[in-house]
Amino acid sequence: MNNASFLPIAPEVFLLVGALGVILLAVLLDRPTREWGIVAVFSLATAAAASVLQWSALDEGADNLYFSAQGIPVVRLPMVVMDHFSAYSGVLIFGVALLGLAAAWPLIESLGSRGAEFVTLLLLSVAGLHMMTASANIVMVFLGLETASIALYVLAGFTRERLDADEAAVKYFLLGSLASAIFIYGGALLFAGTGSTAFYGAGSMRTFLSGFIVTEPAILLLGMGLVIVGLAFKVSAAPFHQWAPDVYSGAPGGIVGLMVAGVKIAGFAALARILIGGLPSQIDDWSPLLAVISGASMIIGTVLAVVQTDVKRILAYSGVAHAGYILLALVAGRDGIGSMWFYLTTYALTLIGAFTVASIVAGPRNGRSPLPEWAGLSSRAPWLAWSMLIMLLAMSGIPFTSGFIAKIGVFSSATDAGYLWLMVLALLTMVVGMYVYFRVAAVMFMDDPHDDGPLLIPATSAVALVFATVATVLLGLVPWPLLEIVREALPL
Amino acid sequence: MNALTWLVVLPVLGAVVVALIPRGRDELIRPLGLALTIPALAVAGWVAFNFEVGDPFFQFTVDHTLSEELGIGWRLGVDGISLWMVVLTAVLFPLAIAASTSITKRPRHFVIAMLILETGLLGVFVALDLLLFFAFFEVVLVPMYMLIGVWGSGNRRYASMKFLLFSAVGSIFLLDGIIALGVLAGDAVGTVANFDHRVILDIPLSSTAQLLLFLTFGFAFAVKVPIVPLHTWLADAHTEAPTAGSVILAGVLLKMGGYGFLRFNMTLFPEATVDLAFAIAVLGVVGIVYGAVVAIVQPDVKRLVAYSSISHMGFVILGIFALTSQGLSGGVFVMLSHGLVTGALFLLVGMLYDRRHTRRIDDYGGIATVMPIYAGFFLFMAFASIGLPGLSGFVGEFAVLIGSYLTLPVLAIIGASGVVLAAIYLLWAYERIFTGPITNSANAELRDLGFREIAIIAPLIVLVLAIGIYPKPILDRIQPSVDLILDRIEATTTYEVPDNGFTPDEGSG
Repeated sequence: MNNASFLPIAPEVFLLVGALGVILLAVLLDRPTREWGIVAVFSLATAAAASVLQWSALDEGADNLYFSAQGIPVVRLPMVVMDHFSAYSGVLIFGVALLGLAAAWPLIESLGSRGAEFVTLLLLSVAGLHMMTASANIVMVFLGLETASIALYVLAGFTRERLDADEAAVKYFLLGSLASAIFIYGGALLFAGTGSTAFYGAGSMRTFLSGFIVTEPAILLLGMGLVIVGLAFKVSAAPFHQWAPDVYSGAPGGIVGLMVAGVKIAGFAALARILIGGLPSQIDDWSPLLAVISGASMIIGTVLAVVQTDVKRILAYSGVAHAGYILLALVAGRDGIGSMWFYLTTYALTLIGAFTVASIVAGPRNGRSPLPEWAGLSSRAPWLAWSMLIMLLAMSGIPFTSGFIAKIGVFSSATDAGYLWLMVLALLTMVVGMYVYFRVAAVMFMDDPHDDGPLLIPATSAVALVFATVATVLLGLVPWPLLEIVREALPL
Repeated sequence: MNALTWLVVLPVLGAVVVALIPRGRDELIRPLGLALTIPALAVAGWVAFNFEVGDPFFQFTVDHTLSEELGIGWRLGVDGISLWMVVLTAVLFPLAIAASTSITKRPRHFVIAMLILETGLLGVFVALDLLLFFAFFEVVLVPMYMLIGVWGSGNRRYASMKFLLFSAVGSIFLLDGIIALGVLAGDAVGTVANFDHRVILDIPLSSTAQLLLFLTFGFAFAVKVPIVPLHTWLADAHTEAPTAGSVILAGVLLKMGGYGFLRFNMTLFPEATVDLAFAIAVLGVVGIVYGAVVAIVQPDVKRLVAYSSISHMGFVILGIFALTSQGLSGGVFVMLSHGLVTGALFLLVGMLYDRRHTRRIDDYGGIATVMPIYAGFFLFMAFASIGLPGLSGFVGEFAVLIGSYLTLPVLAIIGASGVVLAAIYLLWAYERIFTGPITNSANAELRDLGFREIAIIAPLIVLVLAIGIYPKPILDRIQPSVDLILDRIEATTTYEVPDNGFTPDEGSG
C-alpha cells in the first residue's frame, strides 16, 4: 500500500486514534479531565483537515481514488472512495461534530469519570457516520452504519438514572436494529440482482447495470426498496419516523443535536451514494419512491408537529418534515446533490443551534423540554431567545437566513426534475411549518416567564451556539461561496 | 455605494447598533432608534430631490449579480411609483418610533424590530430582482408578527398568528409563481434560473401561463391590500397592534399589495391583467362599500380606522384595474395619501389610548372641550380621509373615479358612494367622541396634546395639505411610469387605453 491509497481512509484513522487516545488517557490519569476534550477536538480537527486535503488532492488530479480490499483473489473491490462528495461530507460531519462536542461538553463534565467513554463513543460514531458517506461498497455502508448506530444507542441511554432515557435508548436500539437488518437484506438483494456489492470499478453494480438490461427486475427493485427504507428509518423520514420523537426527548439533551444532525447528514449522503453512485441507471425506479416518502414526510412531520407541546418533540417532527424537503433534492438525482448538501449543511447548523438552546433551557442531562418552560425566555436570557429565533426562522425558511436559500435550492431541483406537485406540496406544508415554529417563538417572546431564575449558559455551549447562529445568518446573506463549493461536491 | 443600497442597509445597520449598545439606559433606546431612522429619511429625500421628472424608467439603479447560475442579483431601482412608497416609508418610521413612548416592555427589542421592518419595507419597494423582492416581502412578516404579538393589546396572540398565517399563505403562492417564472426565464437565457425583472419582462408567456402566474402573484398581493374576502386578518392585526405597528401596517404594509400589482402583475402578465381587470375591479368596489359600511357600526375607534383602510384600498384597486392613465396615477396617489392620513389617524388614536386605555367610542364624549388641539387635528385628518378638496385624500380618489369612469362607469358610480360613507363613519365617530358635554367623568381631566405629540402630527398635516393643494410634483413623477405600464399592456394585448377625458397634469412633462 503506498501513501496515496491511505488518504481515502485518513479521517477515520485519525478519529480511531483519537478514540483510543481518550480511553488511554482515562486509564492513565484516572480522573475526569479536560484533556479528553482536547484529544477529541484535535482528532476531529485533523480528520477535517484530512478531508480538506482530500479535496485539494482531488482538485490536483489525484488518481488513487480507492481504498481497496487486499487479498481478495478475483477482483480488487473498492471499499472506500475518495471524491469531492466524501471530502465535503467529511468537512461537514467533522465540523458539526466539533460544534456538537462543544454543546455536549457540559453533559460530559457532569458525567464524571464516565465522560471518557462518552467522548470515545462520540468519536467512534462520527467515524462510522463518515464511513457511510465515503464507502464504495454497500458492505462498507453497513459497517459505517452499525459503527455509528451502536455508539449512538449507548449515547442515547447514557444517563441511566432517568427512566425515559432508558426507554429512548431501548426504542432506538430495537427500531434501529430492525432498520439495519432491513438495510442489509436490501444490500444482499442488490448483490443478488447485480452480482456485486461495490458501486464503482470493474464488475460493480453500476457497470453491471449499464452493461446489461435487467429482464427480471423484481429482486433488484426489492433490494433498492429495502435499502431506501432502511436509510429512511435512520433519517426519520415518514412513515419510518416513530422512534424519533421519543429518542429526541428522552436522550440526554446535550448530545441530541449532534446525534440528530450527524445521522441526518450521513443517512442522506449514504442514500445519495448508493442511489446516485451505485444505481444511477435506475433513477426512474427509485426517484418516484423517494418522491412518495418525501411527500409523506412533509405532511406527517408538519401536521404532527402542530400538536406537540414539547420543544424537542416539535423539533423531532419538524425533522421528519425536513427529511421530506431534503428528499426533494434527491428526487432530481445527480442534479440535486448540490441542493442536498446546501440544505444538509444549513439544517445541521440549525439543529445544533436549536438543541444547544434546548439543552441549556432543559439542562444537559435532561430529556423533556415542555413548551411552558420556554415561556418568557426573551426576558430571562435575551441572547438565547434571539439565537433560537434565528434557528426557528431558518427552519421555517424565512429570507436572509440560511434556510431560505436552502429551500429555494431544493424546490428548484424538484421543479427541474418535473416534480411540480411535490414542490407545491412542500410549499403548503411550509405554511403549516411556520405556525409550528412561530408558536415556539411566541412562547419565548410573548409569554411571561414562570421561572425568573437566570439561566446559566456554559461557555462551550455558547461557543457552539454563537457559531451556529452566525453561520445561519451569514449563509442567509452570502450563500454564494458555499453554493459554488457544494456544486462540485458530487459523487463519482 | 449606491443611494438605494444605503437606503435599504441603513436601518438594519441601525438595528445592529441598537443591539450592541450596552445594557441599561433603556430610556435612551427610543431616541436613539428615532435618530437611526433619520439617515434613511435623508437618503429618501435625496433620492426624491434628484429624481429626474419625465423619465419613466428606473433610476438610481444598481445591478450586482450575486449568483450567475441562479440568476440572482442585488438589483435595485426606483421609478415614479416606488419613489413615493419609499418616501412614505421613510417619513412614517421616525414618526411611529417617536410616538411609541408607551412602549416600556423591552424597548430595545421594539426598536430593533422596527428598524428591521423598515429595511424590509424599503427593500420591497426598490427591489428589481424577483427573488430579492420576495425575500424582503417575506422578511417583513417577522418583525411585524413580533410587534403585534409582543407589544399588542388584548387579543394579540391570536391577531399576530392570524396575520402571520394569512400573509404566509399568500407568500407561498408568490414564491411558487416566482420560482416557476425564474426557471422559465432561466431556460430563456441558458442558466438554471433568472430572477431579473428585465429578463423576465422579455420572456414570452402563453395566456394560460399568464393567467396562472397572475393568480399566484395576485393572491399574495390581494392578501396584503387586502381585497375582500381576504381582509379578515386586517381588522384584528390593526386593532391589537401597538400604535407604531398600526401606523406601519396601514401606512406602508398594505401598499406592498397595491405596489405588487402595479410592478409585477400588470407588467409581467398584461394579457391576464386585461382579462381579469373587471373581476378584480368589482372586488375593489365591494371593498370600498363593505369596508365603509362595516366601519360605520364599529364600537372601537381603532377598528373603525382599520375598516376605513379596507375601503380606501378598494379605491386603489379600482383605480389600478380601471386600466387608464388617470386611474393608475390616482391609485398610486391614494396609496401615498392614505399612508399619510391613516398613519396620522392611528397616531392620534394611539395618543388618546395612551391617556385613557380604552378604544371604545362609548367611553368618550365631549372631549373637544378638554382637548381642543387634539380635536382639531383629528377633524383635519378625518376630512383628509373623507376627501375634502384641498386635502390629499381628494386628489387621489377624484383621479381614481375619473379614471375608472372611462372604462368602468357603473363601478365608478358605486365606488363614489365610498366617499359619502366615509363622511358618515368618520364624522359620526367625531361627533360621538368629541362633541357635546363630557358624559364620563374620567374624561374630564384629560391632558391636551403636548409639544412632542404636536411635533409628531404636524409634519403629516403639512404634507397632507401641501400635496392636497399642489399635487403636481407628485403626479408629474407618477404619470410617466404608469403610462409605461399601460403602453406595455397596449403593445402586447388588443386592449386600448381610452385617451379622452381629464388628465391631471395636462401639458406638463
